Amino acid sequence: MPLIMIIYYVISAFLVCMLVWNFIREKKNVNDMFLYLLVLIPLVLRILRIK
Amino acid sequence: MYLQIGIISLVMVAAYALAKWKKLSVEISMLAAAVAGGLVGAFTNTPHIGQLARHLVEGSFTYLDVILVFSTATIFMAIVSESGGVNYVVRATIKYFYNVRIIALILLMIIVLIPGALTGAGSVSLLVVGAPVALALGYLGIEKKRAAAILFIVAGLSAAAPPVNIWAMILCAGTAIPYVGFELPLGIPVLILGTFTVLFLGWRRKEKQNLEVVLKEMPEIPPRMSWWRVLLPFLVFFGLVIAYRMWPFSTPILGLALEFVIAALIAWLVSTKKIKILALSRDTMKRLLPLLATMVVVGMLQQIMTVTGVRGMISFAVISIPLILLFISLALIIPVSEGVLTYGGAAIIGIPLIWFLDSIGLHATVAIAGLSLLWPLGDGLPPTALIGRLSVMVSEYKDSYWTFLRSTWVPWLVITVVGILMIIFSAKLEFLVRWSM
Repeated sequence: MPLIMIIYYVISAFLVCMLVWNFIREKKNVNDMFLYLLVLIPLVLRILRIK
Repeated sequence: MYLQIGIISLVMVAAYALAKWKKLSVEISMLAAAVAGGLVGAFTNTPHIGQLARHLVEGSFTYLDVILVFSTATIFMAIVSESGGVNYVVRATIKYFYNVRIIALILLMIIVLIPGALTGAGSVSLLVVGAPVALALGYLGIEKKRAAAILFIVAGLSAAAPPVNIWAMILCAGTAIPYVGFELPLGIPVLILGTFTVLFLGWRRKEKQNLEVVLKEMPEIPPRMSWWRVLLPFLVFFGLVIAYRMWPFSTPILGLALEFVIAALIAWLVSTKKIKILALSRDTMKRLLPLLATMVVVGMLQQIMTVTGVRGMISFAVISIPLILLFISLALIIPVSEGVLTYGGAAIIGIPLIWFLDSIGLHATVAIAGLSLLWPLGDGLPPTALIGRLSVMVSEYKDSYWTFLRSTWVPWLVITVVGILMIIFSAKLEFLVRWSM
């Protein structure tokens, strides 16, 4: 796998970590919790290399 | 067939309206429309019920690259802001050009343009530089209503400015047109219209204060902050962008997201202030959440509209409208679609529109640039009014929202005329695309 592609996976993983962190900290706003899950779909599937 | 697609369209509109009536967010309302459209379509196997989830997930991938660019660019700008770079530049503008009003106004316009141009989101411009610029406009004697109007129009233009224009990216992804050659077709009108806006709305001075007093009231800048610390990350970013253009065969293709990450690392390293990068990134992602969710949901909506045939019917409706009526109606359709669907308007109306304009001999890239000038105007219209509400908030304007919006009518009209003329004469303006490449 080329280096640049690996870096892109790392960037995606970093963003996933930030989103999951926010999701866990979000205790009240159900709308935001739902939006976090929505945004996580393509990023997590990309890291897992599932199209 | 028309009846079937018509029913699906109506159900989608009804689902969106119902969700909005239940006070759900725009993103969830659009998702409700997509799911409802898919479920009704499943009755006639468009899509097969077993494939509905697959279509929704596949649609969520449509703008993954835009999501990455959006996130990394905003983290980069947040680091620049946190390091005190924004306050430093705004303070220097007032310090050196307080008495040369025209230069001060144009510099403040450029300061607002940069974050939006790099991230593709006018809201990021307002979140990062909105408050210090609003303060500076106030010190220049501009009343709050006009300061809010300047911020709204210029932040909208910043979202349309190159290198990152989300509407153009969505249109290019949906019409298989490469996202290249937009620098001049977008950059020139944005700079001209931005300059016109700040001068028209900001020329009249309410009162003049003493410069010493103004500088004392402005936010402090961190010690040891200097021009090179502010400029270096931007030079690295633009250097990487230009290097690939100049030496395409010997420069690795990094992509905008990675270029922003490199620039962000430089900004972090040269900052004189200690920045907690994880906390800053987490907060940035929290602020970006509605925009990122919009990108995911718009992709899903687009996929469902395609598989159910709704997108095709809209395309057919677009090409059936008499041409002159189409051009005139753009002034209304485009901003309203942005106000209701945010970026979804570009996918639903923009893509078929570009196919049609391309088929009648107009230049697609210039036409996309022209449309991109009209979409940001819709960010002041309800129900979303994202940039409009933020402009009012950062400029601390307390009166009626509609009074503020009315004060933007001259720049609004000029931008609309320029955008539509760019579309009509896009074939003649094709040289701008050639010169950009």
